[in-house]
Amino acid sequence: MVATQSKQSNTLTAKKEFVFNSAAYLLRIGTERARSLKELLEGLRVVPDSSIFQHMFQTLAEHHYIREGFSNDFAHWAFFSCNETGLAERLAGIDVREYTSIKDMRQQIILVIEEYLKKNTASADRQALETFYFCSSDTVVIPTTFKARSLEEFTEGLRRVSLHSIHYHFINARLRIKLNSNDFSQWLEEELGLNDLADKFEAIDIYTSTLDGVRRQMVKLAESESGNARKAA
Amino acid sequence: MPKKPAQNTTTDPTNESASLGVPEGKRTESASKVTRVPSTLDKAGLMERRKAPRIATTPPAPDAPPKFDDYGPIVGEAELSEIRYVAETLRGRSVKMVNSTAVGGGVAEILNRLIPLMNELEVPTKWDVITGGNDFFEVTKGFHNALHGEKYDLTKAIEDIFLSYNEQNRQRMTFDEDVVVIHDPQPANLIKSRGQKKDQKWVWRCHIDLSNPHAGVWEFLRPMVEQYDATIWSSPAFTRQVKVPQYLFYPSIDPLSQKNKPVEESYVAKVCDDFGIDRNRPIITQISRFDRLKDPVGVVQAYKMARKYVDCQLVLAGGGATDDPEGAVVLAEVQEAAGGDPDIIILNLPPWSALEINAIQMASDIVIQKSLREGFGLTVTEALWKSKPVIAGAVGGIPTQVIHKLTGMLVQSVEGCAYQIRYLLTHPEFAAQLGRNGREHVRENFLITSNMKRWLLLYQILLGVAKKEKAA
Repeated sequence: MVATQSKQSNTLTAKKEFVFNSAAYLLRIGTERARSLKELLEGLRVVPDSSIFQHMFQTLAEHHYIREGFSNDFAHWAFFSCNETGLAERLAGIDVREYTSIKDMRQQIILVIEEYLKKNTASADRQALETFYFCSSDTVVIPTTFKARSLEEFTEGLRRVSLHSIHYHFINARLRIKLNSNDFSQWLEEELGLNDLADKFEAIDIYTSTLDGVRRQMVKLAESESGNARKAA
Repeated sequence: MPKKPAQNTTTDPTNESASLGVPEGKRTESASKVTRVPSTLDKAGLMERRKAPRIATTPPAPDAPPKFDDYGPIVGEAELSEIRYVAETLRGRSVKMVNSTAVGGGVAEILNRLIPLMNELEVPTKWDVITGGNDFFEVTKGFHNALHGEKYDLTKAIEDIFLSYNEQNRQRMTFDEDVVVIHDPQPANLIKSRGQKKDQKWVWRCHIDLSNPHAGVWEFLRPMVEQYDATIWSSPAFTRQVKVPQYLFYPSIDPLSQKNKPVEESYVAKVCDDFGIDRNRPIITQISRFDRLKDPVGVVQAYKMARKYVDCQLVLAGGGATDDPEGAVVLAEVQEAAGGDPDIIILNLPPWSALEINAIQMASDIVIQKSLREGFGLTVTEALWKSKPVIAGAVGGIPTQVIHKLTGMLVQSVEGCAYQIRYLLTHPEFAAQLGRNGREHVRENFLITSNMKRWLLLYQILLGVAKKEKAA
């Protein structure tokens, strides 16, 4: 199956081209702020979706160069400002790639904190070292000049676009396509029929690698696919 | 259609030796990779130089201003291309920026670099400076201090001086641009000219920390601020609750300025020789004005605690001790705290020492910014950009830059600072990793190119030309 797929992959041409876009974000400072976990919980219930997006998704782009210890702003604050390691670990365990809607993700974050505070009632009102400021981001889509119809062109695009573009297509895409997938895997599967490659892309761990590392893994996988195809031919 | 369960990949996530895309080939940059040029002076020569450092007495010739494309090797062509695209969508739109001084001060420094780049990208941007008599600038200085929380006696006469000079400037100036940006409180009431052009947008850029302002002064300014279409702040912690949208623009550094551009290793060695800094032993540095809020005495104490366990020198370099009476007092306090320790090098530098400061930062093994109160702390940004492990006080905008244990170390005390000096000097790999992360943090968030992009995006959003995407 894989061999057949590889043999073909260098000659496949997509009907629908992949258009690499990028995105830029302008940070807005919200009116909600939290000085304790109780206030964080209250804020989480009322802030706009764009605020959850900022602190869960967008922060990954802002800190894309860090390989460990930074998964989302809520976990980071729980650890460094509240000294609540157990809660921080649970919040850090919320993987943005398991959610296709902000609503579901928000509910999960709230649930994690509520459960933690039920068992650790004294933690609710303890003053944090630093205030948490809820922010949100206005997202502006920016087209790039890179387009692809073949695996080769697609790989070249991956190599050359900005990391913001990688983040936009690989991480933020879930909210757009409402699938546990990403734009790259979607296109590889639907347009080139490269299901295995699509799955391998999807399995890349964004939390243990930098975004540049994620890009390199994708390029390596795509190159390997092309290399296998050349050998098979 | 839901996806199938994921499969494990066989790629090596740790293989990050070859960087792709943006910034191409730049991730290997690190001061720690540079081979140090040793001092040409022996110990006696260095000691002699410490007593009589060679400090430049005249300003150097300014560099030619950089062009937009010069930033390509630093942030990557893809990033420049995205900024260019946003600028293109704004063709035909014009901007005016207004502040209170053309030279000196952080705002003028930023505008001097930013505005030529905006014009190069064909987003016509004019810069106007308000004028006023001594009475006006005395009032605005009083406002500045009051907005930082100092006591102030706000009278009707003071309000009248502020309003009348704003009115004089308003009559003198024209506001026929698409976006007008007013910097800081001094020209805030120019907002009365809003509407000289249809659909014009007005933005108030606040560079100061308003977290604890004098209530009277803030209530005087608030009605002006709330007439703007948007406000911009340097940190969420600096804001007030106002009825208009608040955007977060981090301050930025220019990687091509004298203070931040790459310098030859031979120049670093020369500067160290000029100041008697021994390049063969670890160098700990704090760059700051001689100001108690920067806690230079605390730095000396921390150094002395650390020095019992690790060999190092301390460089305290800054200005403000010549033209500021309080600076001279603080300098004397620091000298007393140093107690004649020959390894504490105290340098009172003139304002034109940007290149020398750059070289000292480059020569340093650790950079400290042990502030007790801070604005954003651009000296921290400068050090992070030079891949230096930073130990800094967790105040003001510093925690935004120094993410504890990831891009640097935050401390709350002299003892904490001393411990981190010992730790970083004895764990150079960890220190180097902090430095690498710090540089990338700055590249992503605190460079002039990021700042340009934010301005352009804001214009896009305010003028309704942006293709916005909603969070699902």
